[in-house]
This record gives sequence, structure tokens and C-alpha cells, in this order.
Amino acid sequence: MKKLDLRLLRMIKASKGQFISVVVIIMVALSIFISFSTTAVNMRNGIDYYYEETKLSHIHVQLMRIPQSALKYVESIEGVTDVQGRISFDVPLKTDDEEGKVRIRIISLPAGGGKVNRLYSPKPIDDITQGNAILIRQFAEARNIKPGDIIEPYINGREHSLKVADAASSSEFVYLMENEQNMMPAPEKFGVAYVTEEFAQSVYGYKGSYNELLIRVKDEDMIDDVADELEERLDKYGVKRIIKREDQLSNKILSQELKGLDTMAAAIPVLFLVVAAIIISIVLSRMVSNDRMSIGVLKALGYSNREVLFHYIKYALILGVTGSALGIIIGLSLAGVLSEIYAMFFEIPLLKVDIQYIYIIYSLVLTSLFCIASGLMGARQALRIMPADSMRPEPAKSGKHIFIEKITFIWSRLSFSWKMVIRNIVRMKRRFVFLVMGLAMAFAINTVPIFMWDSSTGMFYIQFGEFQKMDYIIGLSRPMNEDVIYDIKGLVKNGKMEPRIEYPFEISNGRKKLNASIIGVPGDTIFYEFRNQYDEVVTLPDRGIFISEYMAKALNIKKGDYVRVNNFIPYKDNVDFQVKEIIKQYLGANAYMDIDHMRETLTEKNMITGVAASSKEDLKTRLEDAKNIASVTTVDDMTKTFEEYIDIMLLSINIMMLFGGVLGFALIYNSTIISIAERRMELAALRVMGFDKKEIFWMLAKENSVITIIAIILGIPIGIGMIQSMADVFNTELYSLPMIITPKTFAIAGLSTVLFAAIAQLAALKKIHNINFIDALKSRIS
Amino acid sequence: MEKTPQIKVENLSKIYQMGEVQVKALDDVSFEIYEGEFVVILGPSGSGKSTLLNIMGGMDLPTSGRVLIADEEITKYNDTKLTAYRRDKVGFVFQFYNLMANLTARENVELAAELCKDTMDIDEVMAEVDLSDRKNHFPSQMSGGEQQRVAIARAVAKNPLLILCDEPTGALDFKTGILILALLRKINKKMNKTVVVITHNMAVGDMADRVIKMRSGKITEIKVNPEPIPPERIEW
Repeated sequence: MKKLDLRLLRMIKASKGQFISVVVIIMVALSIFISFSTTAVNMRNGIDYYYEETKLSHIHVQLMRIPQSALKYVESIEGVTDVQGRISFDVPLKTDDEEGKVRIRIISLPAGGGKVNRLYSPKPIDDITQGNAILIRQFAEARNIKPGDIIEPYINGREHSLKVADAASSSEFVYLMENEQNMMPAPEKFGVAYVTEEFAQSVYGYKGSYNELLIRVKDEDMIDDVADELEERLDKYGVKRIIKREDQLSNKILSQELKGLDTMAAAIPVLFLVVAAIIISIVLSRMVSNDRMSIGVLKALGYSNREVLFHYIKYALILGVTGSALGIIIGLSLAGVLSEIYAMFFEIPLLKVDIQYIYIIYSLVLTSLFCIASGLMGARQALRIMPADSMRPEPAKSGKHIFIEKITFIWSRLSFSWKMVIRNIVRMKRRFVFLVMGLAMAFAINTVPIFMWDSSTGMFYIQFGEFQKMDYIIGLSRPMNEDVIYDIKGLVKNGKMEPRIEYPFEISNGRKKLNASIIGVPGDTIFYEFRNQYDEVVTLPDRGIFISEYMAKALNIKKGDYVRVNNFIPYKDNVDFQVKEIIKQYLGANAYMDIDHMRETLTEKNMITGVAASSKEDLKTRLEDAKNIASVTTVDDMTKTFEEYIDIMLLSINIMMLFGGVLGFALIYNSTIISIAERRMELAALRVMGFDKKEIFWMLAKENSVITIIAIILGIPIGIGMIQSMADVFNTELYSLPMIITPKTFAIAGLSTVLFAAIAQLAALKKIHNINFIDALKSRIS
Repeated sequence: MEKTPQIKVENLSKIYQMGEVQVKALDDVSFEIYEGEFVVILGPSGSGKSTLLNIMGGMDLPTSGRVLIADEEITKYNDTKLTAYRRDKVGFVFQFYNLMANLTARENVELAAELCKDTMDIDEVMAEVDLSDRKNHFPSQMSGGEQQRVAIARAVAKNPLLILCDEPTGALDFKTGILILALLRKINKKMNKTVVVITHNMAVGDMADRVIKMRSGKITEIKVNPEPIPPERIEW
């Protein structure tokens, strides 16, 4: 080995702590980059392949009723390649469960499996015969239902027996959720059973017709045009919703998750590498000034500037290569773990965990660039060292008066050690700025998980504590006359109840449009508390509409503007409504109207689709068995699901906090060690003068605390920025993160930053003990 | 004269700008050194002898004048050529040895030798400076004299044209200093290397073939010793 390289290796060995702390940062950065990117790419590839293999529909239409014969009419639309009709309806399933009801979606499948939304199974799937059903795999597995078992759904008040022929996966239910209101899949509570067309049509009373269409188009660019055309042509069949693939629930959640992965894969590693680069440049710049004389000797021996500079940049490169090698290995194995975690929520049978070599190359290039740049920044002063000058003792650091000294009012009140602290900071301006920047970022990283926690718990408790106050939302099996409420009243007994309509529409403003449900409630509703953007409580007006913040943003609507509601109900006109308030809604994105006004303009007289109720009694079982009731959503169940979700979240929050902590630790540890090494003589002189080790430790601690405090103050706006961009990534019509940023957010993040800084300072304490002050004063050559 | 000079210094001047004051470190200095000579440049501190050595060693450039080494005008060289000159032609020995602390004695010598093609055998050189059994020690484990011997080995191993020594005995006690001087003389004679030693110690002049005395940046005297005395007989 070249002796210069040997010297480098020994240098690294002598400063293991510093080396390891930077390697860890690079390692974390790259393992996140590799694992997140690899997982995202593998999932995208897997899902694309899966969608194509199983011919997932591009457009999914839900309508009142369309005769089989009308399908030709749809096929003739330009760009449409395949149309498949089906029957789909949700019914309760008979089980021995004490805990709540299990619901199942019955979906008809044409003989031969059809051309669109084909089922997938590793082994060939036999055709379904009369009286048989194929269960969706997630559900069959969660409930441990085997082929040959019997399932008993209640359909239209009658119990039917279906023999389970097989289990299979569907690309339509990669993420198996009943509807938008659920936050997480609960495969033991909701499943899908595929049955023959004849069975579905006969039990549902839909002989010769369908209530859903699955459509595939020639080219994905045509989806919008075809959807517009469908809306017009199918109006008379009572279109409820036209769902494009991008809006399809399972696909939407998956894309959103992948989008989140992409963002994290880009943002976190770059943040980490920036901090690593800051440390590297500080460490190298210190190393070069320490090696001043050695550099002179090397140059005198005939080493060129380039060789000397490269000698130090190699240090950065070795850091980079070690960190990335470890990061890549960890990242690749984490990619497997991450894919497994995703497999718990997303059923992608054709998912392959491949090594994405391009990301390995990206990470090596990215890390090398960061390391070379920071190496150059730190070591470039080596170029200015003249061999002849370097042999002479270094001139004393210029001591200058600093501006604070002019403010005698403050300066005269400072103790001696504070004066030294402040002078030192001013003397090392550049390093101080770098350190503060890095630590501010570490602090800001800490604010994000705290916000995520506050925001998602807040989102839940605001939604079900303040915004919605009912205990139960009862969904009817179809829109009915309000009279049905008297039947339900008998069940609710002592509770309060309120009629409601929840119905899907297309809401538009010019070219911007989205599908959403409008919810109609009494003007004097006791179950909703609407708050506008200024957090003022507002009441539903007789005329006009309230829309949620997310909707207002998506449609670019201000209070007082008009929105158009495109009605899917046959022979009903589109209506324009004035937006009276833009209201806060974090879970889901809906519009709200006075129920009477809604009936007049959009739906039928006296119609309701559900009832909201509150009662101290447990109504669930009583209600679920009742006639005409399709679903009972209880706030209790939602809370339980949410608490499960919180456990998972807590883990990732802890990991994020740890990341921020590692950054803070590495910054403070390195800078303290450098401070000590650099000021050995100065500190030794203080020791000779009678300062004890503790006092010196506190002096350094004071310096670090000034840095930490300034970093935290500057980190607040950075943290808010990060939180904002985080919220932007996660906000969708399914949920929006409320901006719950309180002093507590920064207090906790600050505490964690201070804690890690303190640990780092303590870790560096050893080096103070190691200063032999007599040696330090004697030797000029350290 | 049958010999041509190996080093020619012609009208060399070096002016430092120190704030508002101009300091003339070298003021129109000229002399010649022949191949295989042992030259001592004598002068008190501030006489410009270090500046002179630095310029001869290609570590610094003069304000005016020129230095020719084996008929090559090194004072015209750019940075790259100066680096190559230091690499191939010159060996340095410094007052404070300046070894790499984290390399062993042998590795310190190799560090220099690795740069050149036509080097001497490292073990031979280590034997020559009498460090064969200490070659795997780190500088911190060696005495000043031993460290300086490593530094000499480092200078010699490159097989340079000339060896330039800046106060090589300055940090050593009398006895060790004499040993170092004797070693330099031995190398000078045995390997026929030109050795230039700068020192403020008048007594060292007695062992030189040629003594150049300096004061305030000027040469006050150039003396050729027809019969230099062996270093062992020097006293101060």
C-alpha cells in the first residue's frame, strides 16, 4: 500500500469515533434511499404487471340499472376496447362473531372469468358453478375459510348458502377496504365473494341487467374523454359514479403510498447527506490545519498539490464508500422487510423483490458527489499551504474585538467564560454557521414525527369528537322514504336520531371536477358542528352549500363562489349552488347541505339514505339484524381500528426521532472533539491557571448550548416548512392532516435535540480528561 | 578549473512585504557550489540563510536573480516543475525532523522513496543511518537523534542530487548533534552527494569544504577549506 494511504488509514483509526459517526449518517441515508426506492419501483412494476395480467378496468361505472342489451351502446364509444357488466352489492354475512358484523360484497363474474378484472391465482381457477363462490384471498385467509366451507350471506332478507370453491386475488382489491371511511383494511370484517351472473341477478332481482360496468380503453390518455362520453350516454340508466382508475379506491391508496415513499426516498437521504457533508468538511478543514506542517513536508518531499489534496479527499471518499457499502447492504435487506410490511396491507401476488441496480449506482454517485464536494470544501486550504511557510510556527490567531463588546451594557455583565464562549463562536464563524445549519435540520426532522402524531390523532378526535357527534351512522340498503325512521326509532329507543342523505355527485367548477358525496342533514343538526377556516362555528343555511377545505382547494373555490352539482339521478338537472362556507373536514372530503334543500334540488321528496343516532346503549347488534339496514358504522369500532393504526405509526415516529437524534449527536460530537483538539494549548493553559476539568467541560457545554439554542430557533421555520410539505404529500380527499403545530411540537423536538446534544457532549468528555496539559504546552507539533 | 559548478546562484534577491515595511531577506546574493561538496551556510538568525535554502530547494521563488541546478534554471519553473524538481533532485532535512507521526521509521522513508523511480534500497539506507533495528518504531518511540537519522534516511533514499539541511542539529544536544553531522559527512563522502547545511553554529563551518557566511541578506565571506576537520573534532 502507498505509505500516504497507510497514513490515512492510521489517521482514521486514531479518530474512530468521528469516522463512525459520519459513516452511520451516510449509512442511514443510503439504506433509506435504497430500501424506499427499491420498494417503490418493485411495487410499481409488480402492480403494473398485475393490472395488465388481470386486465384491471380503466373506468368503473356504478349505476342504477342497465340492461345487458345496452352494453353494445357503450362498446361503440370510441376508444373503448372491452365492456363487462356485473352485479355488485354489499350484504351481511352470517358468522359466529360476537364482535360486530362481517360484511361481504357479492360480485358477479361472467362464465370463463370475463375479459376485465380477471381474478388471479397461482393455480388455474375453475369456473364458478351455481351455488359456488370464489372468495377474495385476504378475507379467506383472515377468517380461515377453506375451499369446501359454506358461507351464508343474507341477501334481501334471506339467508343463502354458498360453497367456497376457491380463493383468489383481484387487482381491484389490492387494498381491501369497504369504502373511503375506513382508514385501514380489516380483511376479517369485509370480504368479496365472486358468484355466477345467474345467481347474482336472480337473488338481487336484476334479471338480464347490471348495476356496474367495467370498461377498458385502448389508450390510458383516452380515459377522460371516454368518461365524459359515458356520463352523457348512460344518464338514463341512473349513473351514480364514474370512477376512473386514478380514483379507484384501492389503486388510489396504493399510488398515494408510493408517492409518499418516493418523497421520503428523495428527501430524507438528501437531508442526511447534507449533514454528513457539513461534518466532513468541518472535520477535514480541522485535519488540514492540524496537518499544516506535515503538508509542508509532503510538498517539500515532492508531493504535488493534487496528490496532497486527493490525500484528504480520499478520507471523505473512504467515509462515503464505507457508509454507502453498509447502507446498500442494509438497504437491500430492508427493502425485503419493507416489501413484506407492504404485503400485509397490499395484496400484490405478482410482486417480485428485485435488486434495482440503478439505485445502487445512483447512491454511489450521489454519495461520491457529496463526499468529494465536502472534501474539497474542507481540504482546499491545503493548497494554500506553502512548504517554506509551514515550517515556521503558525502565526497567532488574530484576536479581534467583536461587536458585542461595544455594547458595554451587555458585555460588562458577562462572566469570563461567557466572554470566551462568545469570542470563540465569532472566531469560528464559518464552522458555527455550518453547525447551526446542520443542527437546525436535525431539530426540524424531529418536529415532523411529532406533528404527524398530533395531527393524525387530532384528525381523528376532531372528526369524531367535535365535527361529528353521533355514535352510529346507520346506512339503509337503498334510498327510502323518511317514514322508515319510525321503524328505526323503535330500535334506538332512548337515543336521539336524525335523518340523513349521503349521495354521490360530481361537483365541478369550470373544468375542475371531482366525485364526492353530498351529505344532507337538518339545518339544526345536533350531530354536526361545522367550523369555517377561521375556526368559527357556522350553521347550515337554508340555501347554498358548505364544502370541505380539500374540495375548495381541488376545485379552486372561494367562499361565495358557485359550484355545479352534476346529478347522476336520471332526469334530474344539474344545479348550481353558492358556497356559503368552506369548512374544516379532515377525514374524507364532502359537501354539506340542508336536507330539505337537498331533497328539493337534487334528490326525491322525503328521501333518506341513512340515519345518524346516539345512544348510551349498545345498539349495534340490534340494528345490524334489522330489516332495511345495510350498514352500521360505530364510532367505537372506528376508534379501535384507529388505535391499531396508531401503534404502527408510533414505531415509525420513534424511528424518525432517532434519525434526527443521530444527526444531532454526530454534529455535536464531532464539533466538540474538534474544539478540544484545536484548543488543546488554550485549554491546557486554562488548566495551568487553575481551571479544573469540570469548568472546562462547562465552557465547552456553554458553547454547544449557544449553538443548540440558535439552531432550535432557526429550526422552527425549517420544521414548519418540512411539516407543510409533508402535509401536502399526504393530503387527499380521503383525509387531510390538520395543521396542529403547537409550542409543544417544538418543545418536544427541542428536548430531544438537547438530549442528543448532551449525550454527544458527554461522549466527548473523555477527550478533555485525556489532555495532558504539560505535554500540550510543551509541544508545538501536535 | 576542471569542474563545472553544480549549483549556480546569481544575483538572488528576495523581498518580503510585511504590512507597510519591506524586508530584504536576500540582497543580491551570488555563489557557486560544486558536485560532491559539503557546504555550510553560516549566519545569525534573520540573515536570510533559510530563505536561500528554501529557494535552492524549490520551495520558494526569488524576487529577482536566478538559481541554476545542473544548468537548469529552477527559478523559472512553474509549480508543477518545481514539484518535480523537489521530488527528483532534492532531499530535505529539517530542524524538527518533521516525520509523519503515524508512520513508522521505515514507512517514513518509503513515503519519500515512493515518489521517485531511481531510489536506493530502503534497508540499505536504514542500515547506513544505523537504524536497522529501530525501523518499525513510530517517531514518538524514538529519541531526537534517532528521528533526525530517519529524516536523513528519508532525504537520502530518494537518491537526490543534493541534500539540503536546515539547522539539522538545532534541536539536538551536543553529542547527538555531532553524530548527525558525522552521518551527513559520511553520506557526502560515500555517496558523493552534495550536502548544504545551514546553521548559526560557527563551529560547524570547520568541517565544510566551503563556508558561505551571511549577514542581513548579504554574503560577507566565502571560504574554501583546503583541509576540513572531521566532525568528531568539532567543539562548541
